[in-house]
Amino acid sequence: MSKPRSTEAAYRPLSPHLQVWKFHITMFTSILHRATGIASVVGAVMVAAWLLAIGLTASGYCPEAYTLFLSFAASPVGLFVWFGLTLAGFIHLTGGLRHLIWDMGLGFKISSANALAWWSLLGGIALTLAFWAVLFATGKVVL
Amino acid sequence: MVDSYLKQRSPKEWKTSEKHGAGEWLAERWTSVALFFLTLWAAWSAFGLASQGYEAALAFVKVPLNAGLLAATFVITMWHTYMGLNANVLDYFPNSRALRLLNLLFCLAVLALALGGIYLAFKA
Repeated sequence: MSKPRSTEAAYRPLSPHLQVWKFHITMFTSILHRATGIASVVGAVMVAAWLLAIGLTASGYCPEAYTLFLSFAASPVGLFVWFGLTLAGFIHLTGGLRHLIWDMGLGFKISSANALAWWSLLGGIALTLAFWAVLFATGKVVL
Repeated sequence: MVDSYLKQRSPKEWKTSEKHGAGEWLAERWTSVALFFLTLWAAWSAFGLASQGYEAALAFVKVPLNAGLLAATFVITMWHTYMGLNANVLDYFPNSRALRLLNLLFCLAVLALALGGIYLAFKA
């Protein structure tokens, strides 16, 4: 084998990267776990803004804060963003569960790992759809 | 093979990363376990508060148990976020101290805004 270009490169093992990997479900859900994690940061910011809006309105520092928050959060665009955030959040939640199962040393057989990846992905999507179906069915959200 | 180059690292370096590495790994796991329950509680609460308006939201935050759980959720969420975003920084920009600092400041800022909001609502 040829020598690596620098010794420093040898100290830094690269993650297997996209160009050389054939698609498989565990690779896809791994990427999705990172993507949904980053997307969920936006959710944390939105909920922080909600709390701040309540606080600013209640304290009288900025009485219009809550109305301002709702003008975005309750708008069609806002609802679309909330939907995306719940999807990312639920997929990250079930994906996190999958990782915790693997962290306990369980489910490493390729067939089990694949099944776990599918179940966590479909479970996350199902939870999101159920959450919004109930929101619409109870009339809490109307378009 | 690559392994022979790894031996050039001093045993001292290996030892420092051992302890630090385990602590971070464990923190990632424990924050995950805590957030599993806290975010499900948050989703449940959000469902209850949806379309109920400002007064209901304020009344919700004013319940001491809710305020405490909200604060705990945010502390753990932003800690988890900091570790998660740092994993991204280290993968794509391994030498950037600036991005790691920016990440820390961002997470602390979001936490401060959320806790500030809870405090103001709770006190009002």
